[in-house]
Amino acid sequence: MTRLLSFCFCLAIAWPSAANAQSDPDDAVLRLAEPDFTLIGLPTGLRLPQFGSAFRVTHRFTRRLNGDDFGDVAGDLFGIDSGAQIGLEYRYGLVRNGQIGIHRTSNKTIEFFGQYGVLRQGDHRPLDVSALLAIEGTNNFRDSYSPSIGAIVSHTFGNVAAVYVEPIWINNTNPLPRQLVDNNNTFMVGIGARVRIRPTVYLVGEGAPRSGYKPGTTHASFGIEKRAGGHMFQLNFSDGFGTTPAQIARGGPIEKDWFLGFNISRKFF
Amino acid sequence: MRTRIAKVLLAGAACAVFTACDEKLSTFAGPTPSLEPTFASIQREIFESSDSAGRTACTNCHSSTGRNPSGGLNLNHDVAYDQLVNAAVREKPGAVRVIPGDPDNSYLIQKLEGAAGIAGRRMPQNGPPYLTDNQVLIIRRWIALGAPRN
Repeated sequence: MTRLLSFCFCLAIAWPSAANAQSDPDDAVLRLAEPDFTLIGLPTGLRLPQFGSAFRVTHRFTRRLNGDDFGDVAGDLFGIDSGAQIGLEYRYGLVRNGQIGIHRTSNKTIEFFGQYGVLRQGDHRPLDVSALLAIEGTNNFRDSYSPSIGAIVSHTFGNVAAVYVEPIWINNTNPLPRQLVDNNNTFMVGIGARVRIRPTVYLVGEGAPRSGYKPGTTHASFGIEKRAGGHMFQLNFSDGFGTTPAQIARGGPIEKDWFLGFNISRKFF
Repeated sequence: MRTRIAKVLLAGAACAVFTACDEKLSTFAGPTPSLEPTFASIQREIFESSDSAGRTACTNCHSSTGRNPSGGLNLNHDVAYDQLVNAAVREKPGAVRVIPGDPDNSYLIQKLEGAAGIAGRRMPQNGPPYLTDNQVLIIRRWIALGAPRN
């Protein structure tokens, strides 16, 4: 598996001429079916214009929505009164088709990531492919490093919808030393879609079935979002709090509870 | 030119990714940094040695050298494995000291963790300090792997 991923990534690195050879659309122009750089927790293949940037804030409230009386849940304003795992993210268009970024969550995990658009969907090419590389560490990037490598394969249906398949391998997802565990890595396939149901309103959903180390509930999430200029406001429901590859790989609480959350993103270009 | 730089950066990052990350067992093991989930290591680091946290060696009491081993458990080097693995517990009928592959029901773990229902006191008898959670976890791993004579 490692060799296969390594081969795919090297191939991806060696292939950017394919992206350049096509007529590159202006990446600053809004893509109606793919308006944001993430679905809910998983990335999309949206290109960031060179020298452009984007910011995102994520909230995952930690009060479960199921299992209690509706009145109690409503009394806590569906979790908004509770604590939350908060994420702050900034990404920057380093080169054409390439972006780098940093994402920090309030459990003191810091993720550095890079993404490169390898193939662009076009008349003769049905799929858009991006390579994804990231490394995250807990305790403000001082402990437990989990690098990840993967691909984002997507297809956009006109201005209406986009679907995503994202095979990602994450190393060292298990917080214990490898001598004490059966699996130290996780391979997951992120699956997601975004559908434009109104001119500026979208439904979005994603999941991430896994193999290898998979202690918690498999990641699943869905939401509704509203685009307003360069902003995207998203209300979502998830079975966990993960917003980084290793967090998503580890899954949510084992009880399969559901939690309210939101994402707000802003483009600077 | 910039694209070429990006390629080099990404290739370098890919190499970094495949440099596997992991937590160090020596750090995890705390006061016994050389402890590993092997019988030889457990014998050396836990049964026969005290550690920097002040825990005493098990063989202070569980030895036949100049005394009768406490609880009928002799952890001297040459007999410890046979005294533990698939061996019945004298003071608790039906219990087995180490059940290969089943750390939860192994009486050794129950005694080290001070589980409810054990006969007598939690071990080490003069604790605290007892074994740390991580030290017990390493012993648990050896049992989970089938308690090999390694």
